[in-house]
Amino acid sequence: MSAAARKSVLVVTRHAQPARSLARAALDTALATAAFEQPVNLLFLGAGVLQLIPHQDSSAVGVRNLRKVIDSMPLYDVEHCYVDTDAAQRHGLTTADLPSGAILVDVAAQRALFDAHHHILGF
Amino acid sequence: MLHTLNCSPEHPALQDCLKLLRAEDALLLLGDGVYLALAQCSNGQALQATGAALYVLEADARAAGVHARLALGFNVVDDAGFVALTERHARQMAWY
Amino acid sequence: MGMAVALNYCLLIMAAPASGYTSLTAARFGAAVIAQGHILPRVFFLDGGTSNGLATAITAQDEKSPLTEWTQLATAHGTELVLCVSSAVKRGLLDSAEAQRHGFPAATAHPQFALGGLGLLVEAMQSADRVITFGAPE
Repeated sequence: MSAAARKSVLVVTRHAQPARSLARAALDTALATAAFEQPVNLLFLGAGVLQLIPHQDSSAVGVRNLRKVIDSMPLYDVEHCYVDTDAAQRHGLTTADLPSGAILVDVAAQRALFDAHHHILGF
Repeated sequence: MLHTLNCSPEHPALQDCLKLLRAEDALLLLGDGVYLALAQCSNGQALQATGAALYVLEADARAAGVHARLALGFNVVDDAGFVALTERHARQMAWY
Repeated sequence: MGMAVALNYCLLIMAAPASGYTSLTAARFGAAVIAQGHILPRVFFLDGGTSNGLATAITAQDEKSPLTEWTQLATAHGTELVLCVSSAVKRGLLDSAEAQRHGFPAATAHPQFALGGLGLLVEAMQSADRVITFGAPE
């Protein structure tokens, strides 16, 4: 497929716990889209920012570590991780907490993201 | 763009949606979302204040018993009308 | 009033069959898309949505069966129904190959659903003019 025909995808992730499988599905979808060389960005909106809390250790509960998956995103060509500024602030997340390369976006910038992609997937 | 909202009036997804809703958008209420179209619902009034075109899916409104109790600013659409909304708007964001 | 051009749709279903009636609404939407002259080559079921493919779901006589509604779409219009394999197997939805691989006597996914990777969703999205997502609150 030619580069001109590629449709960009915005994966919007708004859930953390207890909807963990949904949050994981959003990450997997972003990764798969990138793996198939289609332009994809990921937006952590509202409660979705809770997935970004650092130093997660899921070994005792026995599921995969969400934060580790997120940190691996740049390796897999997910273009950018965007983070809802207000939600990050509400939940006490500072820039230092966020994955490297994460971009904080306010409402106007979030809306611009929506308008800039061909397809939007709401998780 | 088209927003679809499938959650009750008290659900936090509504606040996420309200922030991103623009006057040029359409919003379709589905499932539990139809309760937002009830005539006395204050969150429904917040939706109306955005200036977006507001719709309720007919089958779901009837199932909830709200079909005859809707606020004036909401338009009832059937399944063909739902499809027409997706024809008109290239992007859809599902809130739930 | 309708569009002169036939649009290519892809549906992404996150809603489980027993999550309210969102799955039924999505199946009705799919049928309406086709009735309006558009095409629906593939529906992709992900996360809890994969449970829509369970062969042994029994619906009460006075209610509509999501399984029936989705398989009718496939039968009547050739729409591919794909269950995301990782979400599906986690929920016990196995096709014959997976059942055999894990030592189970039979498939649990309805034969009109195929198990497949997220690449099939990506592929469908690239051809699609419209991608419509259906989810339900937990």
